[in-house]
Amino acid sequence: MAYPLLHIAGDRTETLEPKRNARSSADRIRPLIEWTTLKVSGKPRVYGSILKINRLHRGSVESAVTSFPMAVMYGESDYTLTLLYLLNDDLIRASEFSVKDFERAAWGISRIGSRESVISVESVELGKGRIMEKEIAETAYAFPLTGKKVQGNGVVQGVIDWKEGIGNYSKARIMVMFYPEGKVKVEGRLRVIDVGEEVVL
Amino acid sequence: MFLSVGVRFEANVEALNMVETAGNYTKHRRVPYLVEEDGKLKTVYVPAISGESLAHAYQWSLVKEALGMNLPVCEDCAKGEFFKSMNKAHLKKKIDPIPDDSKKIEATIIKSCVIEDVGGFLYAEKPPVRRSSAFQVSYALPIKSMALFATAEPQLHARHAQMDAKGKKGNVSEQMIYYVETGTALYGFTFNLDLDAIGVSSLGAGPIVPEEEIRARREASLKALFRMLSSAQFGAKLSRFFPVGGITELTVVVTEHPFVVTSPIYDSYIERTKKRLEVIKEAFREEYFFDSTNEVPEEVLRKAIEYLKEKGYV
Repeated sequence: MAYPLLHIAGDRTETLEPKRNARSSADRIRPLIEWTTLKVSGKPRVYGSILKINRLHRGSVESAVTSFPMAVMYGESDYTLTLLYLLNDDLIRASEFSVKDFERAAWGISRIGSRESVISVESVELGKGRIMEKEIAETAYAFPLTGKKVQGNGVVQGVIDWKEGIGNYSKARIMVMFYPEGKVKVEGRLRVIDVGEEVVL
Repeated sequence: MFLSVGVRFEANVEALNMVETAGNYTKHRRVPYLVEEDGKLKTVYVPAISGESLAHAYQWSLVKEALGMNLPVCEDCAKGEFFKSMNKAHLKKKIDPIPDDSKKIEATIIKSCVIEDVGGFLYAEKPPVRRSSAFQVSYALPIKSMALFATAEPQLHARHAQMDAKGKKGNVSEQMIYYVETGTALYGFTFNLDLDAIGVSSLGAGPIVPEEEIRARREASLKALFRMLSSAQFGAKLSRFFPVGGITELTVVVTEHPFVVTSPIYDSYIERTKKRLEVIKEAFREEYFFDSTNEVPEEVLRKAIEYLKEKGYV
């Protein structure tokens, strides 16, 4: 999201403070995004040649040593990723950007993932949501697993906590995310937001 | 301005991207496709061409275009060795002594080489300096509706040599057999070019070269794509495995801000791209260029360059 958003702003900077603790300029956008998550269509499968190598040479350390935080969806079906960005109106208003800028930027997301595969955004929708407290919810969107009970299938992965900063991944905290396959039932102390007919934790 | 191109091409009996060699067997690059059958997933391996391979071909075309337009290309890149000022040994060819200032290092590299300006670089010493590539390219993958018909098949070849009479085996013909795995598929890939990134610092220092030269560099970048696609000079083993076939469809979009054509691996990609562009026009009042053809791809590329000339971008 940062790349098209900064393009709209006419800012070509991609590295902040190059001399010490170089960071990605995506860090400029990070405080404006409250939360981001995604859901996947179809049946994802974790696959990767690096995983195969690790399986052969290092036993079952697979997901811990790869930067591959979620499932692969190559295939004959038209699999899609749905990304969700939760923005805070007040923060956006106080920033140099507008919600419209974010909407246009969403159409311009061109790369995603650790090796930045080329993608195309097929649809963008804007909506208002209200955060609520719940103890049980059903969701198809990925969520942090800690402190929750899950009924259903999915993929568990340790991923970088982007809220701690973008770029300095060697020292960043890892959070455990659950990527559901279809919808799953979750129990715990949940903060949820309705998105159309769906729920995001 | 942001250019995005979707390309579909037919390649029969090609060896455009070979990977590991096991003995006398050279394998084609393959990727897994997941196929659902009776509610269960199974993996099918299909031939593919990596984005790295396509990016190398593009940058090699850019070397020729840049040199033809008297634009600077560094010594390494001019040889097709894209080290990209990766360490002191390579950077010293451009500036010696190497300064301690990232911005000076970046400016020196951009001024001395169009390829590193457009294709990005990573100087991995102190202070580290990186620049993302202004162009992006996907893997070339078999289009989805025909993926299961894509094949990779080993072809047997033989070399013969007359042995010298004094040789251990006497005066007999010696034969060596080897296998080259060839792929056949209707491939699709996406290419993006961020024209606003060319000649401009990625460390926030603004334009590095004069506006006139930036326009020339943009033109060279577009012509390089034109040449690469038109001449089918991408991938390996072209001298003996030049793919039989050619571009079957080409779609070009130019927008003010980033926008990527729907991937040509989907059958409805042209219609979907058009619909998405209409949203961009209506919601954001953004002008765009769109053209697509299954006949003369060069004509579409020419029109895109003309559009950018009209806009004063090249």
